[in-house]
Parts: sequence; structure tokens; C-alpha cells
Amino acid sequence: MASTSTNLHDLMIVDCDVHVNDPPEELARFIDMPWRRSLEHLGGGNQRYLDIPGYAPSLSIDPPFPDRGLNNRSVSDPAQMRADLDGMSINIGVMFPDNLLLIATLPDVDYAAALGRAYNTWLAEKWVSAEQGLYGAVLAVPQDPEGSAAQIRKFGRDDGFVSVYLPVSGVRPLWGDRVYDPIYEAAAEIGLPVMLHSVGLIHPNFPFNLDHLTSRIARHPIQHEFALMANLFTMITSGVPVRFPELKIVFTEGGISWVPYVMWRLDKEFAETPTAAPLLERPPSTYIKEMYFCTQPVEEPERPQDLVTMIDLFDGRDHVIFASDWPHHDFDHPQKVLSTPFPTEVKRKIMGETALGLLNLTPVAATS
Amino acid sequence: MPRILVGSVQDITSEHPVFVRDGEIEIGVFRLGTEFRAYRNRCPHQQGPACHGVVTGTLVATARSNWRPEWVLDGQVLLCPWHSMEFDLTTGARIRGRGERLRAYPVHVIDDQVYVDIGVRGSIVERNAMKAKT
Repeated sequence: MASTSTNLHDLMIVDCDVHVNDPPEELARFIDMPWRRSLEHLGGGNQRYLDIPGYAPSLSIDPPFPDRGLNNRSVSDPAQMRADLDGMSINIGVMFPDNLLLIATLPDVDYAAALGRAYNTWLAEKWVSAEQGLYGAVLAVPQDPEGSAAQIRKFGRDDGFVSVYLPVSGVRPLWGDRVYDPIYEAAAEIGLPVMLHSVGLIHPNFPFNLDHLTSRIARHPIQHEFALMANLFTMITSGVPVRFPELKIVFTEGGISWVPYVMWRLDKEFAETPTAAPLLERPPSTYIKEMYFCTQPVEEPERPQDLVTMIDLFDGRDHVIFASDWPHHDFDHPQKVLSTPFPTEVKRKIMGETALGLLNLTPVAATS
Repeated sequence: MPRILVGSVQDITSEHPVFVRDGEIEIGVFRLGTEFRAYRNRCPHQQGPACHGVVTGTLVATARSNWRPEWVLDGQVLLCPWHSMEFDLTTGARIRGRGERLRAYPVHVIDDQVYVDIGVRGSIVERNAMKAKT
């Protein structure tokens, strides 16, 4: 079974973050009235990239430079997704939404909850297919923790759903708040990992209050890495990994280089003020080392060995997992991650083996 | 030296490159005014199909412009369609990069016919690049 090959074609590649396009006209079939009529009305038009139907939470402040920002690729059906992933030698994809990446910003709880239910049903009916290697993440709407827990119990027992998606952008309170305990209880009960996933956003909720940062490249790392950090801080201090010791926690779309910083800073703070996190039974870093971190957008240091060093700083060889973010503008081709100068057995873990265990997956289909 | 006929001078416009193939290697041939450039259709960043990208310009701000942004190199900047990495079509070099380059091939015009010499980059320059890395 053991192989020394690190050729893409010879590896089981599990992609922990791919995106399906979720236009309003498709969700309309699965949403309650009166929203069904609303989505039918809103569908088919020129929807802005990554925007919620009928709601515009994402302030767009970048000037329209010619020829930039035009590669807003989307994937509209499972056959296209399968073909795209085959083109990158990816065997398995875990699916996240496009537009509903921003669902946490919706002020109307009932509409948010209805959209979440519609998305999960639509995902199950249209997209999820173990035979095709396309697996779902149950969308947990933070505005409706009890309803989301019911959704996790409804869909999470299906073999085609392998995780719970926790939207990060604009979420308030942050994911460490105990109001979300029903979601964590349900995920732990079913045995699904929770996956925090952020996306670009300008919004009053911390840390997305970024309208004063006029350069996109200044905002983007805050919208992703800082947002993940802020949520991780609160999850640690409220003792999520202590209260739900079986729960596996995954961070998506922030790369990995922020992890050692968070680990060491929290350990330093905890040493001085353990009373500020009385639930913790041991230093914060020990919990963080038990979490999982997706590669994308993978760091590209001038010296590739530095990425090995960075992952080793948090003992991450068994806790870093590949994600492409296909088809979004900053996706990573698996070859990029595979070229990191790790030993072959570590590459196999990062590219797929660790995720198979994390997601409790038995691969039933390889790519063509 | 292997040489591929691309087409006549009139066939290659500044709007659209012409593609030729040498086995698995695809080469995009671009027209820049009266000159031609040929590059391998593979981005040095993540191996994206760079030559399928848009040809446009870019924005810079320099002391000469008193740090005011200026649109420059219009019609000379190739954007890789995968991640929008910018390449100067006159040289193949990434603009403001770490020295990354598209692989370039010599182009000859003989009797209004455009030819690309293959094997030069593959057999000489690529080997030199590999040697430089070690």
C-alpha cells in the first residue's frame, strides 16, 4: 500500500473546500413562503458576486480597474464540479456555498433560518453524491442555533454530509459564545467536525469594520485570518474544546501561518491570567494543536522549506489538510501544496489521508 | 533546430494570440505592434494557462508621478486567468515579482510567415535554469 510517489495522480486527494453556486431561483424551490415568491422574483437577474438574495451586506468599495475582478468563476452543477475536480486530480470535495457565505450578516432571523434550511435541502437534493465524491457541509445559521441543531441532526446522519459549516463573516457574537452550544452539541452528537469558513466582507461587526482600509490587499487578510483568529480566541476562552471534547474543529480559508502566533500569545496570556479562562484545564496551545487547519490560501514563501518549518511549529503534520477553494479567485491547485518539501508520507496525510479520518470518509469513488 | 510554423503575419492579431503545440507543450504567440513573442502557456505560479489571459495594462505610482497612480503598459500586460499574476509581454517577466518568467521561445518572420523555434528553451535555457537552482 505504501508508495513513495508524490505524483498528483497517485494520491487520494481530499479537497476540504469547494464552492457551489447557489442562485436564488434554485433555492426558491426549497424555501418556505413568503420567501419562495421573493426568490423567484429575484432569480435570474444580475446577482452581485457573493451576495445574499434581496440583501446587500457586502459594501463594495474597490474601483473597477479594467480586466481585474472578472474571473468570478462559479460552478453551477455537479457534472461541472466533478469535471473541474478531475482536471486537478482531486478525488473528493467538501462543498460550501457561494452567496450564503455571507448569511451571518442577515438581521432577519426568520429569513436567515429559512435560507439555511432551503440551502441544506437543495444541497442534499442537487449536489451531494458519495458516488461522485461530492460531500456536503450542513450550513449552521448562527442566528438560529436551535434550528441549526435540528438541521444538523436532520442532514448530518446522511452519509453524504461530512461536516458542519460555521459561517464566520459578520457573525455576532463570535463562535465562542455559549448561545451556539446547541450547534456544538448536535455536531458532537452526530460526530461531525465543525468547519469555520470566512469570506471577504465590509460590515460593522468586528473584525469586518474595514471601510477605512481602501486597499483590497490590506482588507483581505483581516477578513480571513483575523476573523478566524478572533473566533478561535473566543472558542478557547469560553472553553468550547473543554466542554465538547469530542468535537473536532476546523479552520478554513486562512492559510496556516497565523496558528503559531495565536498559540504562543494565548499561552503567554494564560500563564499570566488563567482566571480569564477558568474552563481551560491546560495551556491553550494544547487545545489548538488538536484542531485542524486547511491550507488555502497556502503561503508561498520564497524558501519552500519555511512552510515546513511553519507547520512544524504547531506540530501540524497530522492537522493540516488540503483545500483548494475552487473555483474562487484565490484557489490553490493541489500541485502547489504537494510541492511543499515534506516527506512523502506527510504529503499523503496533508493531501487526503488526514481528512479522510477527520470526515469519517470511506472513499467509494475515485476520479476518472 | 525544430521550428513550428505559426501562420502568416496577418493571422496573428494584437487582440488574440495564436497557439501552437509541441507535444504536451502549448505555446502562445502574441503580436506586439510589428513584433512577435512566444511563451509557454504555463504560469510559473501555479501552472495556470497564462497565455489564455487578458492583455491589458497595470497601475503604478512612482516618485516620477509624485506617487500618483498611473495606468501604464496598456496592451503589454498579460494577466494569468487563474490568479491574475501580471507578465510583461515584451519580456515574459512577472511585473514586480520575484524573478518569475514565462518560458520564452525565439520567433522568426520569414517571407511573412511566423515561426517559433522550439527546443531552445527546453534544451538549453531550461537546463540552465535547473542548474541555477541547484
